[in-house]
Amino acid sequence: MEGLIEGAALIAAPDVVAAILASAVYGLVIGALPGLTATMATALLVPVTFYLSPIAAVATIITASAMAIFSGDIPGCLLRIPGTPASAAYTDESYAMTRKGQAEMALGIGLWFSAIGGIVGTLALMVLAPSLAEIALSFSTFEYFWLALLGLMCATLVARSSPVKAIAAMLMGLLVSCIGVENPAGTPRFTFGVTDLLGGIEPIPALVGVFAVAQVMRALLMPEPPPIPRRRFGSILAGQWALTKRYPKPLVRGNIIGVIVGILPGAGADMAAWISYAAAKKFSREREKFGTGHPEGLVEAGAANNSALASSWVPALLFGIPGDTITAIAIGVLYMKGLNPGPTLFTENASSMYALYLIFILANIVMLPLGIAMIRTSTLVLRAPRAAVMPVILLLCAVGAYAIGNNLFAVVLVAAFGCLGFLMERNGYPVAALVLGIVMGRMVEQNFITSLIKSDGSLAPFVERPISGVLAALTFTAVLWPVVIWVVRRLRPARLRPTEAAE
Amino acid sequence: MQLSDRVTGTVLVALGGLAAWGGSRLPAVPGQDVGPAAFPMLIGFGLVGCGLMIALGIGHSFEVEEDESTSGTWLYGLRALLPPTLLLAYVLVVESLGFLLTAAGLVLTVAFAFGARPRLAIPLAVLAPLGIHLVFYKLLRVPLPDGLLAAPW
Repeated sequence: MEGLIEGAALIAAPDVVAAILASAVYGLVIGALPGLTATMATALLVPVTFYLSPIAAVATIITASAMAIFSGDIPGCLLRIPGTPASAAYTDESYAMTRKGQAEMALGIGLWFSAIGGIVGTLALMVLAPSLAEIALSFSTFEYFWLALLGLMCATLVARSSPVKAIAAMLMGLLVSCIGVENPAGTPRFTFGVTDLLGGIEPIPALVGVFAVAQVMRALLMPEPPPIPRRRFGSILAGQWALTKRYPKPLVRGNIIGVIVGILPGAGADMAAWISYAAAKKFSREREKFGTGHPEGLVEAGAANNSALASSWVPALLFGIPGDTITAIAIGVLYMKGLNPGPTLFTENASSMYALYLIFILANIVMLPLGIAMIRTSTLVLRAPRAAVMPVILLLCAVGAYAIGNNLFAVVLVAAFGCLGFLMERNGYPVAALVLGIVMGRMVEQNFITSLIKSDGSLAPFVERPISGVLAALTFTAVLWPVVIWVVRRLRPARLRPTEAAE
Repeated sequence: MQLSDRVTGTVLVALGGLAAWGGSRLPAVPGQDVGPAAFPMLIGFGLVGCGLMIALGIGHSFEVEEDESTSGTWLYGLRALLPPTLLLAYVLVVESLGFLLTAAGLVLTVAFAFGARPRLAIPLAVLAPLGIHLVFYKLLRVPLPDGLLAAPW
């Protein structure tokens, strides 16, 4: 209780309140612009967080990402272009509702159930993280190795992509993380005599490159999206309560799926949305209505992606293992601000943790009024021509990358990763797996080599310890899952449609 | 640029081979079995395996074709190289020209590439660098170079 009051005092500071409001507006606008993702919004925020107090820095990341995940629904609903990948699962459905003249209801579902999902996810984070922290105290390098590997494997289970290509992308990320002297032996690796490479490649320039620069490159080749017709919206939240009462099961299931997927290291909001939309369709009594503007799937998936966003902070805070690309950025910020992730965070920094929970809840409450304002002005925001938005984004990439270390080499890296991200995306290699590989590479190697040295080169302790045995089993399940699906699909080719089997 | 799986798979095999070869040449730590070479070699072999599978088309059935409607020839496709080129140009000239002029040039070029009219592009090229300079230089204290044209603050 004491910690709760201290936490509340921490976020009542004027700079934190200002940071929450400003980043909320920022997140809403970036998320609503087609092609500018929640991850990119967060990545471009990092240089700004350097100069904020620790709580304000974390608050900007949490608020901006939650808002961007919600407002990604707006262009999906009005233009059939998902604002962020997490909205892609149900874009067709909400666009169908718009065509039926129910745009208000579709957007209202996104808003209302996103807020509920966000709050449920936060409650899960509050309950689960401290109890898991007790178990985590007994973890040694063997368990950390498997956790990190499990995270990497989950990152390869990307919907609608070849698992082999995802694993290849992840391995490329790991290879990038080998660059530099930051390895257990301190030997310079793959630096090719370039001094700037000795320190290794930081995740942020890579993130900005593959998520922002690559997007500008892609936009140059695509025609301008059609302008949306001006329209006046009716009441946004009218009827949402009736929907809540009508679809209690999808709501609960969406939240549970979101929480579970979020807690899994390496799998985040996009995955949660795809899985829960498919689950809603599978268990619905009105399955034939899906795809024609039926609210049920939207309820479930809209709740799932926001609850995953909150619960993906569980592995991030406990082990420093990102739940998705957004928490991968957040972990970097946490380290920078002296809030090093780990089980002791909950005992030594209890008030900061309470502040973090409160920020999550606050962000999801602020989302309702600001989200309504955003929906009402969305016809204006979405009219912003790409020719005005893209130049500013590219300039922000350059300045943001430079600001991280006042080093121009980071801008070169951003350009290089932009090209890499563009090429990978074009050829079906998921870039999120690459990024998570870069972020977690050092952790995997450190724990792998340390464990091998401890066990004198023997592999047995990796599976003999009870918890590491369980984690190993989970990891192998994640690897073999696509194989199982493939076999099942071969055996019953007629019954499973590819979209259903993609999870 | 859309490449066939055969091409990207082969590139991955080559990359993995180079990584494993480069890793194997790293000096070992005296008295220890596993050193800095183990991890890159593991990754290298993994990449070779994945590359072979991709080149043979394994796992292709999981992919969902995105209908990216790109018009035009490969010459039109070269437009995509504009952003990274501009970033490199930024790195090369920002110290001598200064942030404001370099940024204005970058914004102007990208805006025109997206088909902006001068009515939009020119005010944008003036205001966006000033705004970003104000935030990053004044508020965040990032040392953006002055160069030929210093900001009024």
